Amino acid sequence: MSNLIYPFAHLLGGLILICAFAMLSQRRLAAMITLYQFEAITLTAAAFWQGYAQHELALYLTGVITLVIKAVALPIGLRRIVKNFNIVRAVETAMPVGLSMILGVGLIGVAVWVVLPTTLSAVTLTREDLAISLSVVLLGLLVMTTRRNALSQVVGFLSTENGLVLAAIGMPGMPFVAELSVALLVLMAFLVVGVFLFRIREHFDNLDIAGIENIEKQGR
Amino acid sequence: MVCYIRVVNQYLALSIGLPGHGLHLAYDPLALLFLAILTPQIIATALGPDRKSVAYWLFVAGMVLAVLAAEAFPLLLGFELMSAASWLLVLRGDRKPATLYAGVAMFSGACILPALFLPPGGIAFTLILLGAGAKAGLAPLHAWLPRAHPAPSAGVSALMSGGMVKVALYILIRYGFIVMGGAAQPWWGTALIIAGAASVLIGSLRAMLEVELKTILACSTVEHVGLIAVGLGIALRAKALGDPSLAALALQGALLCAIAHGLFKPLLFLGAGAVKHATSTTSLDWLGGLIRGMPKLGGLMLAGCFGMAALPLGPGFAPEFLLLHAVINAANTGEIISRIGFTALLAILGLAAALALGAAVRIIGIGFLGRPRSLRAAAAEEADRPVLFGMGLLAVLCVPVALFPGMILLFLNPVINQLIPDAEQPPLGYAPAPLALLLLLAAGASYAILKRYGTKAEREVHAFNGGFGKPPAWLPFGDPITQATGTGFAEPVQRALGRAILGPKTIDPGELYVLDPLRRLNVQFTRAAERVRRATIRQRLAFVFMALVLFLAALGFVQGT
Repeated sequence: MSNLIYPFAHLLGGLILICAFAMLSQRRLAAMITLYQFEAITLTAAAFWQGYAQHELALYLTGVITLVIKAVALPIGLRRIVKNFNIVRAVETAMPVGLSMILGVGLIGVAVWVVLPTTLSAVTLTREDLAISLSVVLLGLLVMTTRRNALSQVVGFLSTENGLVLAAIGMPGMPFVAELSVALLVLMAFLVVGVFLFRIREHFDNLDIAGIENIEKQGR
Repeated sequence: MVCYIRVVNQYLALSIGLPGHGLHLAYDPLALLFLAILTPQIIATALGPDRKSVAYWLFVAGMVLAVLAAEAFPLLLGFELMSAASWLLVLRGDRKPATLYAGVAMFSGACILPALFLPPGGIAFTLILLGAGAKAGLAPLHAWLPRAHPAPSAGVSALMSGGMVKVALYILIRYGFIVMGGAAQPWWGTALIIAGAASVLIGSLRAMLEVELKTILACSTVEHVGLIAVGLGIALRAKALGDPSLAALALQGALLCAIAHGLFKPLLFLGAGAVKHATSTTSLDWLGGLIRGMPKLGGLMLAGCFGMAALPLGPGFAPEFLLLHAVINAANTGEIISRIGFTALLAILGLAAALALGAAVRIIGIGFLGRPRSLRAAAAEEADRPVLFGMGLLAVLCVPVALFPGMILLFLNPVINQLIPDAEQPPLGYAPAPLALLLLLAAGASYAILKRYGTKAEREVHAFNGGFGKPPAWLPFGDPITQATGTGFAEPVQRALGRAILGPKTIDPGELYVLDPLRRLNVQFTRAAERVRRATIRQRLAFVFMALVLFLAALGFVQGT
């Protein structure tokens, strides 16, 4: 069983990376939310697996929190917003899918290029885990940058945060407080963003932030 | 607050503040020399109306603190205090040059600050040269000086031109010769000589061509700073090449030039202020005949111009003499390129001396002699007594510099020993006092002979009257347009040299090649910043994201290699 620890951790990390990457290719919100949910479930599994491997009770707790907040509560909230705003059929048009995926491949390359030589002295598990989580973080940022719809930016932000948590659980000796506070922060941010989204829609009748950009331009 | 005195490195030191954390002041021969240069100017300018301003006293305090500083922090504090206070004073005079001046002051502060804490070497000296040179008005960073120095009131202009540039040069000397003296390279001196020669040429030419009296004086300051820099550069180069006697000779010239310039330039600026007070203009084209309305001021200005022109028996001659000697000596040794260079430098110095003489003649001839060109110039009244007293003090102090330069050089010996430890001072080959005595004897004898044997018969002839026609009846003080204007007087020089050196539009190269590109760069930067400011949310996110990825890639690149 113990010789399965590293391969399985890598498998889970790779699944999360695939989810984050697939998010780039999805132009519909519903699919992005489903991918996010799958990512969060995989992250839960990864947290449980690391808890088992490191014999750390706090990691089980992290897994539970991830499951409750990110895998269940947040997708429900996101879907409700999609339904309420009637943007089930909304299609993202900001950047061609192919181009953003090419950029994503480049970012994964950068992440591997940075992490692997920088952490030569560290344990193998941590090194490759770190490379995967940095890729997830960068891909989430790319989603935030390339999407025009506010809700897809929110999903990108949440995916970024998943990458951070993945890095935290793979690191032995990381205090539990950090993960807990990050999780709470995400919840708070989601609430704030939800309120914000309602305000945006009140003004522009959709979630396209081009409206805000127009106002910014007029204001100057 | 504790204040105590101790002896450091055989010179007295004074600590103000908490023990161990105080400001350390000290005086050594070099600091004393510059304090001695500053004191008469401060006294002379404090007699005027400027003494009521707080900024003026802060300015003075900054200069004194910078000169007396024993370590980097008080030096920088004094330097910045001096810059800030003088900026306030310039701002009170004129807003536009004040902004330019603030930029230059910040530039020089930003250059000097890191240089004080860098290890001695080429980079540190280059920074010192840039910072102190910009503050002193060395080419190519001199274009601000003819704009900013005339802006404030006369006393402050006098102190800026006579004192502030000296403090900047003091920092250059202190760091070039003492603090970084061990690491000195010959090219330090060469850089200083080239900058100085360019300043001399441009400064003297512009002094000849400008029309405003105060601007002429400021351009002449650029020239004299250039002369001092040439002397310092020769000294630095000779010291690094191991020729202490040449270094001592050049240093004598530079320091004597600093002393003389510190006397006659404030005198002239105070006089220009008095002229402005009396006629409400300093443009030579509106002056004329002032010596009739203000004879005392005219006499004092004549004395100052005598120094500025570097005429024999004037205070400006001995330093010029020593400098020329040093250049000739330097041209006699070394390889062929340096010989050619020093010979060219000799030509530049000669040209500059001639131009300086022309500028001095122009000030006196156009401004003070001839007929008034405006009613105000005709109605000018004598300057106030305190101003005359201050100018008189400076003029009296010019006398020993002019007639007994050998004695002044004796006082300079400890300074030169401090700067160049193994130098023996060469004796001065110029003795003006006997020369003046001889001249006086000859003049007296010829006067006596004329008086005794000359004819006493009288004959009435039509007055030559300086070439003017007889004034028409309706112009009580003559027709001013029958005489040459300041511009007209400078026209031959403008045709012969101005177009060749300053270009067809006679724009200062420092302005054309330094200030204008900076202005264009500023506009471009502003546009770029405006573009960033107008960016949308997503563009800004993209900026940050790209910066992050770039940093990560750079990190990976560094780690990978």
